[in-house]
Amino acid sequence: MMLNLAQNLIDALSLGSIYALTALGIGMIFSVMRLVNFAQGNYIAFCAFALLVPAGEGISRPFIGLLPGWALVPVVIALGMLLAMASEILLFRHLRGAQPATMMIASFGLGSALQNLLLMLFGSRPIAINLWPALTQPVMIGSLMVPRLQLVILAVTALALVALTLFLRRTRFGTAMRASSENFLMARMLGVPADRVILVAFGISGALAATASLLTLPQTGIADIRMGDGILLVAFVATVVGGLGSLTGAVLSAYLIGLVSVFLQIALPLAARPYRDAFVYAAVIAVLMLKPDGLFSADRRSQRI
Amino acid sequence: MKGKIFLRRLATACAGAGIASAAVAPAFAEEMKVGFAIAQSGWMEAYDKGATQAALLAIEEINAKGGLLGQTLKPVIEDTRTDLARAAQAGQTLLADGVGVMIVSCDYDMGSPVALAAESAGIISIFLCAADIKAGVQGIGPHSYSASSVANAEGATMAEWSYTKRKARTGYVLVDTTIQYDRSLCAGFDWMFPQFDGAKVVGEDTFKNGDTSIASQITRIKALPAQPDVIMLCSYIPGAASVARQLRAAGITSPILNGTAMDGDYWLDSAPGLKDFVGLAKGSFRGDDPRPDVNAFAERYKAKYGALPVNQSVFDGYVAIQLWAKAVEKAGSFDSEAVVKVLDSFKDEPSLLGPRTFTPDVHIQTQIPFLVTDIVDGKSKVIDQFTISKNIPLDVLLAK
Repeated sequence: MMLNLAQNLIDALSLGSIYALTALGIGMIFSVMRLVNFAQGNYIAFCAFALLVPAGEGISRPFIGLLPGWALVPVVIALGMLLAMASEILLFRHLRGAQPATMMIASFGLGSALQNLLLMLFGSRPIAINLWPALTQPVMIGSLMVPRLQLVILAVTALALVALTLFLRRTRFGTAMRASSENFLMARMLGVPADRVILVAFGISGALAATASLLTLPQTGIADIRMGDGILLVAFVATVVGGLGSLTGAVLSAYLIGLVSVFLQIALPLAARPYRDAFVYAAVIAVLMLKPDGLFSADRRSQRI
Repeated sequence: MKGKIFLRRLATACAGAGIASAAVAPAFAEEMKVGFAIAQSGWMEAYDKGATQAALLAIEEINAKGGLLGQTLKPVIEDTRTDLARAAQAGQTLLADGVGVMIVSCDYDMGSPVALAAESAGIISIFLCAADIKAGVQGIGPHSYSASSVANAEGATMAEWSYTKRKARTGYVLVDTTIQYDRSLCAGFDWMFPQFDGAKVVGEDTFKNGDTSIASQITRIKALPAQPDVIMLCSYIPGAASVARQLRAAGITSPILNGTAMDGDYWLDSAPGLKDFVGLAKGSFRGDDPRPDVNAFAERYKAKYGALPVNQSVFDGYVAIQLWAKAVEKAGSFDSEAVVKVLDSFKDEPSLLGPRTFTPDVHIQTQIPFLVTDIVDGKSKVIDQFTISKNIPLDVLLAK
């Protein structure tokens, strides 16, 4: 029983990690420009398909996917960054000053366009891809059997969080970014290069999407144009529950949702288990009713949004 | 129907009198339009495309033999774009065009707006490959049929086959609750398996197709006192491939049973070295079907479309036209009421895939022969043929 509990905890943390990476990507952009970027989930799918050559009808033909890990990881991350930065330069930059709702709709449009692009290139069938099969093998920790991948997910996410924290706290650009997220107009008046700050935020969110993609693929072994949709929904909810604009809040809430989701999968009776997600979102609604600004937001947020 | 004939006569008369414009000049009398309201774009396209192509092939073959009751069949296709509102519109367009029969999308939800419109116009509708009892009398009306079989039949087949051929006594049920097909598939297994002496379902769990991880479901299976003899996995690509990968990676070696949704080997890269993954097929398009007719069909399909079929719905599409055409011929008329009467009397009527039966209550197959497939050396192979020993009663199919 204890053993199961430990295993369940690792299950929850690794699930929460994927959500956290995506929530962070959404949170980054929201904090600097008040845009909820719904295309983040499509970035994830895009990065997965970037490993393949379009061959049609569900045929798997890896291209970048054949590269060794040390080359593959930076290439995919670079692609994710390029895609996200391109969407800022080609789309969102032209909507500066538009209503948040307008930008949100634009991000839906972008997501739909990306999805249809993949549909055109690769067809609607999911494509099998056997990325890093060795990662799925379990290792023994005491008498606990843990898939290596779960440990990698935990480690990579922790690393990404630490790196991002250091970047935000210790570098000039990070300071500029934090200043922008505090008060964008003021930061701009004080000489913070707004466009560059936003571009960097997009770059980071693209890199996070690529990371989420590379951590999901070895687990599922299959690329699907809708693979990012579910993750995106949870991540978006996590950013809201955490308090929009609070990065720490987004990450913690993402882990919390992972935990609640796994706990419900274990604890719910069979007949209620298909409605697991309904229970998760009911909990979210309850939280938001009690704390409308989110779990981890400072009071000042309420005046601004 | 009478109104339509009148309109046609009027149109012919107008054309004859030179009133109609030059654009209206098709030969009316010798043609029967077959409507297809199917997805040519969107996610449903993957399922509709092959089945539609096979139906078109069947039509072409009928026309090559002189048509049906002396009339040439003319397919008219409208794209539903995998969109419910657009589907309803596509149906109306086809009905206004005067189609004699309406072929609709594979999926019950996607096809039902069109089927309902056809029903109220008194036109026969045939779901290309819906596996839900509702795709017929219960959900649409007496003029609606499915060319396929209920998902429950597949689950029941896996239950009886694994009990008799693999001596399975303990079964674990893992059901993807995203779509109804998988719930019905596992319901079929749940209904059949415990009916056998000494057989027991030792556990059940659910997941969603889009779940990034099924780690907690795996933890639950591993907590069982003994590995189950078989795991009935009711899911589809991509979720099912991902689950197979995760189960095997976790060291669970129980044979995995599945329905027809995973037929083929295009997804096997997801779980390399996969063994004991037993599925079902209505027919094989890899040349190893025990029935020569099916292999010949696969070749004809390939000759026409340049590639072998990629999924099981292709067979259903062919059978849809085959059964309807047989009924029209027997009825000696295209009149919907007459054709329905003949269709409802079909008992073990031969088709490409074996005997087919309809009754006035059940417009979908509930007990048909399946091929059993397994993964051998990274390829999907036919290893057996099996038909369940008892018919699934209607009340079991309607139970939720």
